[in-house]
Amino acid sequence: MMDLLRGNMAPLMFAGLIGFMLIGYPAAFSLAAVGLFFGLAGIGLGLIAPDFLGNLTFQLYGVLSNDLLLAIPFFTLMGAILERSGLAEDLLEGFGQLFGGIRGGLSYAVILVGAVLGAITGTVAASVIAMGLISLPIMQRYGYSIRHATGVIAASGTITQLIPPSLVLIVLANQLGRSVGDMYVGATGASIVQVLLFAGWVLILSIIRPQDVPALPASARTLRGWALAAKVIRGTVPSLVLIFVVLGTILLGLVTPTEAGAMGVVGAMVLAAINRRLSWSVLWEGMVSTMKLTAMVVFILLGSRVFSLVFQGLGGSHWIEHMLTSLPGGQVGFLIFVNIFIFVMAFFLDFFEIAFIIIPLLTPAATTLGIDLVWFGVMICANMQTSFMHPPFGFALFYLRGIVPREQVKTSDIYMGAIPWVVLQLVLVAILIFWPGLVTGFLSQSGTTDLSRVQIVLPPDQNDILNTPPAINFDTPPKFN
Amino acid sequence: MRKPPAWVLAILHGIDSISRVVGLVAIWLTLLCALLSALNAGLRYSSGSLLWLAHQTGIGLFQAVYDFYAASSNAFGDSVWTMFAATVMLGGAWALKVNAHVRVDLLYGAVSERTRTWIDLLGGLFFLLPLSVLLIYFTWGWAWESVVSGEGSASAGGLPQWPAKMLLPGGFALLGLQGVAEIVKCVLALTTSYVREFAYEKPVQ
Repeated sequence: MMDLLRGNMAPLMFAGLIGFMLIGYPAAFSLAAVGLFFGLAGIGLGLIAPDFLGNLTFQLYGVLSNDLLLAIPFFTLMGAILERSGLAEDLLEGFGQLFGGIRGGLSYAVILVGAVLGAITGTVAASVIAMGLISLPIMQRYGYSIRHATGVIAASGTITQLIPPSLVLIVLANQLGRSVGDMYVGATGASIVQVLLFAGWVLILSIIRPQDVPALPASARTLRGWALAAKVIRGTVPSLVLIFVVLGTILLGLVTPTEAGAMGVVGAMVLAAINRRLSWSVLWEGMVSTMKLTAMVVFILLGSRVFSLVFQGLGGSHWIEHMLTSLPGGQVGFLIFVNIFIFVMAFFLDFFEIAFIIIPLLTPAATTLGIDLVWFGVMICANMQTSFMHPPFGFALFYLRGIVPREQVKTSDIYMGAIPWVVLQLVLVAILIFWPGLVTGFLSQSGTTDLSRVQIVLPPDQNDILNTPPAINFDTPPKFN
Repeated sequence: MRKPPAWVLAILHGIDSISRVVGLVAIWLTLLCALLSALNAGLRYSSGSLLWLAHQTGIGLFQAVYDFYAASSNAFGDSVWTMFAATVMLGGAWALKVNAHVRVDLLYGAVSERTRTWIDLLGGLFFLLPLSVLLIYFTWGWAWESVVSGEGSASAGGLPQWPAKMLLPGGFALLGLQGVAEIVKCVLALTTSYVREFAYEKPVQ
């Protein structure tokens, strides 16, 4: 009995994790509790040394003194301020008027604005709420299908997850041990393809179901000529400046992603001040929600460190790695399995929980199979977009539900409307699985060396002295010259 | 239903107030930390121009700003991440009070308020309290050693490390204290007319 227990501690611990998490107590504490419980049990069974848990201290301190994680409060605060800064309004009105005349024009505007907002900050809530409040009423008024309208808004808000500088990419870079800059560069191609896929779908709709995406009548397009140009410039110039301040400075190597987030906070405050939207209450609310989110997220990370330290100590990572590397189909088989797994998990788990609990379990197997971790990370990031979109738990749908009155839009419409966009997000995942070049092609190859391929060639041994042991002669003392 | 005893409510209010005050500090730190980090990056990129200006104009202010930055850039960097650590460890208890820690709400979202109270009660007793005690036990000696030895920064001219290290046992103690308060609230909610204040909502992100 005890031997059975000893041999299967890692699988038991994994089952314990699922059980403890399902109860519904806060994930951070459940994780830490599972870790400590099995840690003590492991010590009791003699599987790990009693002082092994002392390593916890350094693991936890490592999380708190991690420069990269500082980006979490910075980007959250920046998003909270931007949400009220009036930038999204200016962008949407400008592009809506600009594209409104063609079929599906408002949808293109929403997708484009979603991408621009995504390139500035990384919070889904800010984008979805802003676009839902501004674009949805206009789309309804001019006869857009309600399912299409809610779907395109939720999906375009979610795209900020994939577009640098997204928090998801920062956290994944941290978990995968790759540089944030590499993750950003790697995600660029994927996010462009995602925008094109969305726009392509609108184009197809405007051909097969033109009644869903009508063009705005001329009477609705009040801005023309210089007034329109001024409106568009009013939205795009500050956006481009902010994109440069945050993303440009990172990619140029001027600042760390963390500092870019801090500069972004200042930039967002300046922009809000210019638009006369900066008030103490806006700032304070932003600070409060930032503190709560930061404490919540980092506590999950602390809990997951406790869990994974003990899980490794009990040999769990080998167990998982062995299971995953023995899947049929090699790399592609592994990736398909992992993506389906994460897609399903995303129904139940928060993005941060996936990143902190599941990703560390998958990484060793991915490395063993020779998968480029940047490629892997971008793919997971694309996959996790769906967790914001799939009914009934998707966050983006939640936010949309929160701002649209129930008598105007039925919940089932929001759910049904999300489906084509989830499919488009999965198409991107499939493209990424079969076309790694979309990610790795953007990375410079110079700096990376595959350690498993390195061979050190010794010069040929001409005198054959290395093949025989040296003769030892104790009769004469050794000579030193 | 009888009323909750007044002295218990007074103690609960006391614990909540501690978490609130500490949480307010954490809220302020989010902004301070961002501003300081931006200032640090800004000064680093203007250090060259500051020197140039000092030489060209001879105004002492530029030289003074440059000297100040040169002497304290590592202290800036250290204080930024120390503030981050403080935001987390000081904010954790407040986040617990306002029910902001994310849950897997597959079951939790589906059951009655009374069952939720039971989940929080048992979770608090068997998960939160033991882990707070154990983590204080693991971190206390290590942090105290840092205080006693006056451990310096890993980088020249940086801040001492002990405040950041003391945040670990301190934060877990605050968390444990708030955890006790939450357990008592659950007991009150199950046995008296007490109503718990904060319903769980999925966090915004």
